[in-house]
Amino acid sequence: METLTRTEAVTLRGLKKTFATGSRKVEAVKGIDLQITTGQIVALLGPNGAGKTTTVDMILGLTIPSAGSAHVLGLEPRKAVLGGRVSAVLQTGGLLRDMTVRETITAIASMHLVPERIDEVMERTGLTRIAKRRVGKCSGGEQQRIKFALALLPDPDVLILDEPTAGMDVMARRDFWETMKLEAVDGRTIIFATHYLEEAQNFAERTVLMSQGKVVADGATTQLRQMISGRKVAATMPNATAIQRVLSDSDQVSIEEQNDLRVSFRCQDSDGLARLLLTELGAYDLEISAPSLEDAFIHLTEDAS
Amino acid sequence: MNATYVRIEFTRHLRDGYNLIFSLLMPSAMYVLFGNIPSYTDQELGFGNVKFYVMVSMAAYGAAVSTVAIAGTVATETMQGWGRQIALTRMPPATFVSSKMFVATTVAAISSALVFALGAATGAYVTQNWIWVASYLITIGGSLIFACYGIGVGMVFKSESALGLAAGLMVFFAFFGNVFMPLEGMMLDIARFTPMFGYVALIRYLQLRDVPPETGFAVDPIWMPVTNLVAWAVIFAVFAVIATRKARARQ
Repeated sequence: METLTRTEAVTLRGLKKTFATGSRKVEAVKGIDLQITTGQIVALLGPNGAGKTTTVDMILGLTIPSAGSAHVLGLEPRKAVLGGRVSAVLQTGGLLRDMTVRETITAIASMHLVPERIDEVMERTGLTRIAKRRVGKCSGGEQQRIKFALALLPDPDVLILDEPTAGMDVMARRDFWETMKLEAVDGRTIIFATHYLEEAQNFAERTVLMSQGKVVADGATTQLRQMISGRKVAATMPNATAIQRVLSDSDQVSIEEQNDLRVSFRCQDSDGLARLLLTELGAYDLEISAPSLEDAFIHLTEDAS
Repeated sequence: MNATYVRIEFTRHLRDGYNLIFSLLMPSAMYVLFGNIPSYTDQELGFGNVKFYVMVSMAAYGAAVSTVAIAGTVATETMQGWGRQIALTRMPPATFVSSKMFVATTVAAISSALVFALGAATGAYVTQNWIWVASYLITIGGSLIFACYGIGVGMVFKSESALGLAAGLMVFFAFFGNVFMPLEGMMLDIARFTPMFGYVALIRYLQLRDVPPETGFAVDPIWMPVTNLVAWAVIFAVFAVIATRKARARQ
């Protein structure tokens, strides 16, 4: 398989996974085709239960697909892992509470056969300071940094992060992504699963939107950003004719929600619309807001399903 | 085996001093209490004396219990996600298990060595010195079948408290396995089918093999303890494999 082009970091073809729980069968992943080029930073975005973790597990060879195939750098996932080409920050657990930070890193480094990288990786992930602390005494953010350090040990070409900032506060999350940015160098491919739209926006050039085991949208993150740009202007209108006035006045305004005379408009130029509503149409109780990222996300996934 | 990992494991055990001291010193304490103080223990028995008999019994019990406890951590740690972490390295999962087994065997070896040393110092004896060596080796080697038991229980219950329970159940197996006090009649007949019986009976066989039937300490023919040992080794191994498969399927 070495003949495959070097540009394919991850290739998924018709990937499916069905879990049998008792008599019921749960289709966690319902057929995913995906190609990720080397050097890309890609977000797998989706709500809990979208199948992100199962997909990640199959890319890492931790779970065997029910159908289809996953390849990393043209290799079977297991081979890519054994070669230290791909590594990951796993979502749940994965650390032993009574080990110290340094012991944890040393143990995993010995399993990768890279004891010489311990100090460098600890320095880069800011763990040197807390090397002697027990894992159980570390904060959630610190524990994620430990897992991040473990993932960096083999110096992988493809780095996968499954909800890396889950359970972190805002500061810890920002710190984490700062460190992450420094590692996104030298053509390293980074794929992260998240349910924070913001993280996808800030760090991924490409976003793959997943819902209920399927890819529902896939494109440059800037496209996604455009889809959720604009403002929401809500007002109580004096009568129905006024609503018609607004819509005929500009083709950039649309109604997002309407409850009798209380109307939410979506528009690009919120100042202009507000002026129109207040000065000419006699609307009142005006509110202007940016659509929440979650709103847009719900719209996108609803449209697809 | 991964030497670095084994070293870290020992460091962890040393730090968690309570458990280590418990598993290292309890068999010795039990020997002192039951093998050394009572006056009957200087009586001759088979190729040695009663002290030797009590000594190997306590050593075997201690070795088996510490093996259960340490081997069980293979299961609990695997299920806590450490197994997934290891699965993302070059090290095969089997090396994880064998490294843990090495630690378990070492702890069992030290704990039995302490009991044996204490025995030697307080007058436990056998007339043939090779019995010392053979008893010690069977104690260490035989304790490994209880590793599978520990792994199996850990995989089924996934919690550290379950391991405490598994180790606690060993007391029951020991009483019912003729380890702590000589059973007779129907109890002994049932005991022959329990997991610790074959293990301890095989060690004792070395000392007691020529004891005449009238004395009450006469041993079963050697095929009986050997069959018991092999059967339980197979049962525990199958249990460990099935429990591991089920636990992984549920992940």
